[in-house]
Amino acid sequence: MYSNNQWGNICHRVDTCALSGAAAFVAGIPGAEILVNGPLWCYFYALRNLEHARYDMGERFHDCQPDNNAIVYGTEKFLTETLQRLLERESKPSLLLVESSCSLSLIGDDLAGIVRKMNLTHPFVTMDCGGLVGGFAEGYVKAALAVIDKFAKERLAGVQEDEPKERAVNLLGLTDFYYNGVADTKEICRLLKKAGYKINTVPGAGSSLEELTELGAAQLNIVCNEELGLKIAQHLEKCFGIPYVAAGLPYGIKGTQAWLEQINLALPCENMQAVRQEAEELTEFLTAKGNDYRGLWGSIWFDKIVLAAPGTQALCMAQAVRDEWADMGELVVICQHDVKHSRCTAADKILLTGKDAEEIEELLQNEEDLLIMGSCSEASTLRRRGTRFLSCTIAYPAAEEVLLTAVPFVGLRGAAHMLQKLWNVYIRSVIDKQVHK
Amino acid sequence: MPGVWRAVAYTDGVVVIFHSPRACAHIARTMDINTHYRSLGEGRQEERASVPLLSSQLEEKHSIFGGVDRLRKCIAFAIEKYQPKCLVLGNSCVAGVIGDDVESVAKEVEEEYGLPVLTVDSYGFLDGEYYEGYFEITYKLIDRFLQPQEHVPKTVVLLGDSGGPWGHYATEATRLLQAMGVKVIGQFPGYMTLEDLPRLTSAEAMVVLGGRGQTHDDFNKLTKILEERFGLKSLPGIYPVGWQQTERWLVEIGKLLDCEAQACEVLTKERLALQKSLQQFLPVTKNKKTVLCIGRWLMYFHPDAVLGTIKNLELDLTGIILLDAYEEEYRQEMVAALRLHTDVSIYTNIDGEALLKEADLVLTTHELQDKNVKQIFLPMLPKVGTNGEIEFMQAIYRVLCSRHGGGGMIYV
Repeated sequence: MYSNNQWGNICHRVDTCALSGAAAFVAGIPGAEILVNGPLWCYFYALRNLEHARYDMGERFHDCQPDNNAIVYGTEKFLTETLQRLLERESKPSLLLVESSCSLSLIGDDLAGIVRKMNLTHPFVTMDCGGLVGGFAEGYVKAALAVIDKFAKERLAGVQEDEPKERAVNLLGLTDFYYNGVADTKEICRLLKKAGYKINTVPGAGSSLEELTELGAAQLNIVCNEELGLKIAQHLEKCFGIPYVAAGLPYGIKGTQAWLEQINLALPCENMQAVRQEAEELTEFLTAKGNDYRGLWGSIWFDKIVLAAPGTQALCMAQAVRDEWADMGELVVICQHDVKHSRCTAADKILLTGKDAEEIEELLQNEEDLLIMGSCSEASTLRRRGTRFLSCTIAYPAAEEVLLTAVPFVGLRGAAHMLQKLWNVYIRSVIDKQVHK
Repeated sequence: MPGVWRAVAYTDGVVVIFHSPRACAHIARTMDINTHYRSLGEGRQEERASVPLLSSQLEEKHSIFGGVDRLRKCIAFAIEKYQPKCLVLGNSCVAGVIGDDVESVAKEVEEEYGLPVLTVDSYGFLDGEYYEGYFEITYKLIDRFLQPQEHVPKTVVLLGDSGGPWGHYATEATRLLQAMGVKVIGQFPGYMTLEDLPRLTSAEAMVVLGGRGQTHDDFNKLTKILEERFGLKSLPGIYPVGWQQTERWLVEIGKLLDCEAQACEVLTKERLALQKSLQQFLPVTKNKKTVLCIGRWLMYFHPDAVLGTIKNLELDLTGIILLDAYEEEYRQEMVAALRLHTDVSIYTNIDGEALLKEADLVLTTHELQDKNVKQIFLPMLPKVGTNGEIEFMQAIYRVLCSRHGGGGMIYV
């Protein structure tokens, strides 16, 4: 027997493949480049997704363009020619990831051997990493572990003999390639620094290869996006004894304080009071502004909110949506990943893409008058059905919103930003309801 | 695989299954989302949703044990859930490499469930590009669902995609055809329901929503097949880009469908609309220094239409730059095509550098890096007909009205 829930119309969700995820982790290392050993289709697809977040990816993301005979005769010729071309450039990457797509990972080419023969003068890492491996998250994790094992392991083992840096933390599972990822990482770092922590590394979201070799100097690993960071944290704990806390993402003012408390329990900080004070000031400000807006428009109310996003973001944001930002009749969360540590008591229902495909399909086909907090994938599905709905973009793909400023969704700055977004959606809906009566 | 999908994407009654890792289906989904927003961006909205697309979701273990059982289960689910009138199976590179016999599965399913199951011999990138799958499924739809029948006068079927019935090309072609009293009965492949598909051969003629290059040749092959097997008339390959070609297109449609008088009337009205727009644009566009940069082969870019627009807007074409992309043979071909229409000097990238600095406007087939000039991108598939020409002229007009300093690219 098969489980019906595993299939379902792909046109009700969107994800990218492991090829993109691995490239995303490596692209988060300054100066690193990626060479895809795969068809142009896969290459352009991954590039298009990566370019949403980083417009310069075209210069750092290459393809060796194997033809279809490569399936029989191998890809060595194509790889060698492309690597030669890359070698002839003046600038050298800080790290080169060479990754095979799914079909080319099946033909048995010795990818590492081919690259080794080129005597590259810069660091490199190779792997099979196509759609057979999984989606974005699986690729991200595979690349992260490969980079850590190849470049940080020796150093890590050495560092463990010394004392770790006091209150130094690694932030795991962050990426520029989630929607608003750069701003979110910055806010998380800001809050932790304000509380008195030292940011040791942020793998895949800004730390250089050299910095990554010092991963072991941290006293604690903080897992933010669990689907990206948990396996990395478990690996680091197993191999090098660094403890971790799966803290999730800090949304809302109370959510941010609770998030920081979790970390404080695992590794006490010096200056929690500074963050508390900022939170109090912000609460006062938002309460005053909220009173003002409520006087004119009433309280923010939505009959139903459907929140669809990568696993950790979905669960953590849903908690803040209901506890802090808005009132609603029903809250349904669609998680793109099965995450175990992030808790959400606020949702009336939690659905998992892949497992609850049919229910998600029904939801997006039949519901009316809901607020969709998600990507333009869900919004376009609803619109095509002729459904009336409101939308608030919080995830890729994001065709319905222009985002030029670096204001986060997470943390204290993010709390004000998200509240602002929801107020604006609500006010627009009240006006539209009257105008189109 | 995405080609297979697009060939039936809006054919209600069909369900598509990719025998592939899940992410391959997301490529099709990404295309689908882009189509939706492109239509919205052009001020149009799709009239219906795409048909269900499933993936057999191959994983690493299937590369050892095969994925055929997985495909069978996925098919069983699709039939139970969506009750399709036809199944279309697309094959991924992975299915090809591991040697899954999808054709046999299709035959089994067809016998077991008594519904048509179409599949293709092409396996992802192992067997060509997007259009391999697109045309293979198109021919199979013809073989399976079309029969010869009486033709209804003054009816046509549109052939090709170009963003579907709500896209610019089909909308403009339909508008002009309707103005001549010609009815469009559908757009094939991709946009007629399975139920409506047999009506296709009742059309008197086919109008290819053509372009240039290999794809256009493939569409011409398709028209020949429909002509030979079902007696549909066809319009020779005219691409109505620019006013001259639009005029020609209208005249030829008039001849083909025996409505020359109506075509003549429409032509007069369209010419008037164009002239009205020109009156608005000319005070701004007249004598503005313009450089044309071309880096595409003649097969994909005929300069006649854009030279016609330059002339109509009375722009001052100060030079033409042929970008580095050319081998000598193709460069000479383009020079010969240009010389049929203009004696303006032709430059290389380096020689033309100074011209760009002086230009008010650059019309270009490729983005010019680090150039502090206003660029309008000449797309591979320009907008067609009178409205397409007016929109192009309007883009030029607006760029010249703009007082923003600096460069940047305008897409039309």
